[in-house]
Amino acid sequence: MHRVVITGMGWITPMGHSIDAVWKRLLNGESGIARTTIFDAGTFPTTFSAEVKDYDLANHITDTRKHEAVGRNTRFALGACAQAWKMAGLDAEKLDLDRVGIYLGSGEGSLDFDAYTTAALSGWKDGETKLDSVKWAEIALERMNAMRELEQEPNMPLSHLALLTGARGPALNCLTACAASTQAIGEATEILRRGDADVMIGGGAHSMIHPFGVTGFNRLTALSTLNENPPQASRPFDMQRGGFVLGEGAGMVILETLEHARHRGATILAEVVGYGSTADAFRITDQDPEGMGAVVAMTEALADAKLTPRDVHYINAHGTGTRENDGNETTAIKKVFGDDAKNVPISSIKSMMGHLIAAAGSVEMICCVLAIRDQMLPPTTNYQNPDPECDLDYVPNKARPAKVDVALSNSFGFGGQNDTIIVKRFVA
Amino acid sequence: MRRVVVTGVGVIAPIGIGAKSFWENLLAGKVGIKRIESFDPSGLPCQIAGECPAYKIGDFVPKSYRKATKVMARDIELAVIAADDAMKDAGLQTKAYTESPQIKPERFGCNIGAGLINAQLDELTSAMHIAREGNKLDLHKWGRDGMQQLTPLWLLKYLPNMLACHVTIIHELKGPSNTITCADASSHLAIGEAFRTIQRGNADLAICGGGESKVNPMGMARHTLLKRLNETGNDSPERSVRPFDEDAAGMVNGEGAGLLILEEYEHAKARGAKIYAELAGFGASQDSYSVTEPDPSGHSYGRAIGKALADADLPPNAVDLLIPCGLAIKSHDAAELNGLAAVFGNALDRVALAPIKSQIGNLAAGSGVEACAAPLAVHHNTIPPAVNTRKPIGGRKLNVSPEVREKQVNVAVSSVYSLGGQNAALVFKKVASSQ
Repeated sequence: MHRVVITGMGWITPMGHSIDAVWKRLLNGESGIARTTIFDAGTFPTTFSAEVKDYDLANHITDTRKHEAVGRNTRFALGACAQAWKMAGLDAEKLDLDRVGIYLGSGEGSLDFDAYTTAALSGWKDGETKLDSVKWAEIALERMNAMRELEQEPNMPLSHLALLTGARGPALNCLTACAASTQAIGEATEILRRGDADVMIGGGAHSMIHPFGVTGFNRLTALSTLNENPPQASRPFDMQRGGFVLGEGAGMVILETLEHARHRGATILAEVVGYGSTADAFRITDQDPEGMGAVVAMTEALADAKLTPRDVHYINAHGTGTRENDGNETTAIKKVFGDDAKNVPISSIKSMMGHLIAAAGSVEMICCVLAIRDQMLPPTTNYQNPDPECDLDYVPNKARPAKVDVALSNSFGFGGQNDTIIVKRFVA
Repeated sequence: MRRVVVTGVGVIAPIGIGAKSFWENLLAGKVGIKRIESFDPSGLPCQIAGECPAYKIGDFVPKSYRKATKVMARDIELAVIAADDAMKDAGLQTKAYTESPQIKPERFGCNIGAGLINAQLDELTSAMHIAREGNKLDLHKWGRDGMQQLTPLWLLKYLPNMLACHVTIIHELKGPSNTITCADASSHLAIGEAFRTIQRGNADLAICGGGESKVNPMGMARHTLLKRLNETGNDSPERSVRPFDEDAAGMVNGEGAGLLILEEYEHAKARGAKIYAELAGFGASQDSYSVTEPDPSGHSYGRAIGKALADADLPPNAVDLLIPCGLAIKSHDAAELNGLAAVFGNALDRVALAPIKSQIGNLAAGSGVEACAAPLAVHHNTIPPAVNTRKPIGGRKLNVSPEVREKQVNVAVSSVYSLGGQNAALVFKKVASSQ
C-alpha cells in the first residue's frame, strides 16, 4: 500500500483567497460573517451569511474562456485548485495525465433564479393547484440558458478542474452533504494507496447562499437568526449557540503517493494517515444522540492510522454551532478519547468563516495541515458561556501555540454521514 | 485480495418493477418509452420518455416508515424500491423485515449514485404564488410569507445523499456510506467504489448503484436546451432510441433505479447465498476535452474499460457481452465506438453489444439498471437484444442482434460516460463452480 502525502493546498473562503492571508486572519480570531449581499435577504429569518467577497477568477487562472458560464461553486473550485497546483509545483507537461485523478465533494450550482421563478409563476394561475406545464415550457425554453442549467450539475466543478489541469485519471464527485469534501479526500487517499493514480486533486466547493438555499435551511431552523450581531452569530460549543451560519467557498489539496512526490522532489506538507466513514442509519433529520456513527468513524480513522487517541494533538471539530451537533460531537469525542478527552484541544473555525457545507471539510483539513506547519491552533471564537454539556478544551477565543504532529478533522452530514480524516507531520 | 460477488439485484425501470420483471421484458424486446403521462408535455419538442409503471411507495417500506415517504422526492422513492427488491433477492433479513436482523450493520455499506434532484414544481410554485409580483418572485414577500408555505423538511427531499440515507435507515446499514453525483456515470462509479470498500476490508456487504428521474419539466427542459433529446420521435417512441445507428436522432430521458448487493465471496458462500457473478474489475477515468461533448477519440472512455479489464486480469478478447453507453446521439456514439475500437481492436467483432437504452431511455444516475443487466446476463447466459440498431454508423460491423441470444456469457462489461466527461466500466465474470 502506498503512503499518501499532501504537496499543495488552496482555498477560496469568506475570509480571503490565499492560504496565508486566511490563516493569519483565523489565528487573529477575525470574522467573515456579515449581512448577505448576494441577494436581498432583508425579510428572511436569517439576513446574514459568510460570503466570499471581491473574488476575481482571472487573478488565479490565465485563460478563463472555457469556464465562462460556470456557477459560483465552480469559480471557487478553479481558484482553489490553481493555488494548490501551483504550490505543489506540478507541471502538466511532466505528468502522466492518465494517472492524475480528481475526487471532489462539491455541491450543486445555484439555480438561474430569475428564469426559474419567472417560468414557474408564468405557468401558475390563481386558484390552481397544478402548474400549467405547457405555458411553463414556453417561458422556460425562452428564458433558460443551456450552459447555466448544465453548470448546476454537481459534477461540473470536477469537469472544469479536468479542463484546467488536463487530468484524465479516476474522477469522482461525492455529495454527502456537509461531510462531502472530507469523504472525497479520504476516498482520494484510498485510490492513491491502491496505486490507481499517482496524483489526486481532492477537495470540495459549494455555495448555498441563494434564496432557496437559505429558505431550505431556515425552514429546517438550522441557521442562527442573530441578525443584530452577525460576527457573533456562529457560537460553536457556547451555551448560547443557536444554529450555524451559512458560508461558501472551496478548498483543494494535491495528494500524491510518497514515491511520486519524492521522485519529482516535491515539498511535502503532511501525510494523510487515517480515514473513517460510517452512516448513523438513525433519522434523516437528526444525528444519533449517542453519537455512535461519529464514534466509529473516529475509531476507524485511528485504527487506519495505527494511532491511539493519546497520539492526537488537535481536533478540528465539525462544530457547527447547532445545539444538537456540538453536544453530540462532544459526547462522541469523550467516548473515543475517554480520560484523554479533556487534554486534546478542539476548535471550530466555523465560528469565524461559517459553514461551507460540502466544502467545509476540505477547508478544515487544510487548517489541520497549517496547525502542524506552524504549531498553532486556530481558536473557537464567540465562546463566552460554558455549556455543561460541552465541557472540553475548545481553544476559546484566542489562537494558541501547541505541539501538533497529529491532527484529526471531523465532518458530519445531514442524513447521518460521518467522516473523519487524520493528518500527520511527515516523517520519512 | 478479497473477492467480491453479486448476490442480489434490485431494479425499477420503465419496463418493469423488480429485477425479474425488468429482465423478462428486456429479453422480450419490450420498449418502455412512450408519451409522457406524469405532466402535459405538449410545450416541449420531445414529448416522450421512459416512465416507470405506477407504484405505491408505501408498499415498499415498513409500516413504521410510511410517514417518512412524504419527504421523498421521486428519485428517492425509486432507490428505496430498488433497495427493497435487491435485499429480498439476496435473502438478507434486514431491519426492514425482522425484529432480529441477521446482518451486521457496521459491516454493511451503501453507495447510491444520484443526480441533481429537481424540486417538485407544483409544491414550490404554489408557495411562490403567495409572494408573486406579476410573473416575478418578490423576495421580500417570499422571506416574510412565501417560504412559510413550504414544509419544514422541504430541503431534505432534494439532497442527493437522501437516496442512501433513507436506504441506510430503512435497512439499518451503518458501514461506509457514499453518494456519487457524476451524472450518467454515478451508478457505475458508486458500484466501483463500494467494490473497493469490500476489497479493502471496510465492509462485507454493500448495496450500490443509483437512481434518478429526469422525467419532469426541469429535467426535460434542461436536456432540450442542451440539444440532446430526440425531437422527431414523438410519433414512434418504440423506435426513438437508436444507439450506434446511422439514423440515431438523439437520446430520450428515462427514470429508474438499479442496485446491486455486493458481498465478499467467503461471506456469501458461508451463508449459502445465490451468486449471480463475480465483480472482477473496475476502471474510472476523465475526459479533458469539453463539458458538453465527449472526446471524439474516445481515449479516456476506452482507458476506463481497459483499466477495468486489467483490474480483472482479463484480456479484451475474453469479453462476451458489452452493455455500452449508447446514448443514440450520433457524435457521442461515434466517439464511443472509437474508444471501444481502441480497447478491443479486431476482437470487437466477437463482443456482443446490448445497448439497452433503446428499451428504457437514459436513466442518467439511475443507469445502475444497465449495470444490473450485466450480472443477470452472466447468470442466465443470455444476451439482451439490440432492438433499434439496424444500420451501424459508418458501415461499421457490430455484433448486434434484434433478437435475444442464448449463449455462454462468461464475462460481461457495463460501461458509461457522463455529460461532463466522467467514464466508468465494470467487469462481471462467472464464478466457476469448483472455486
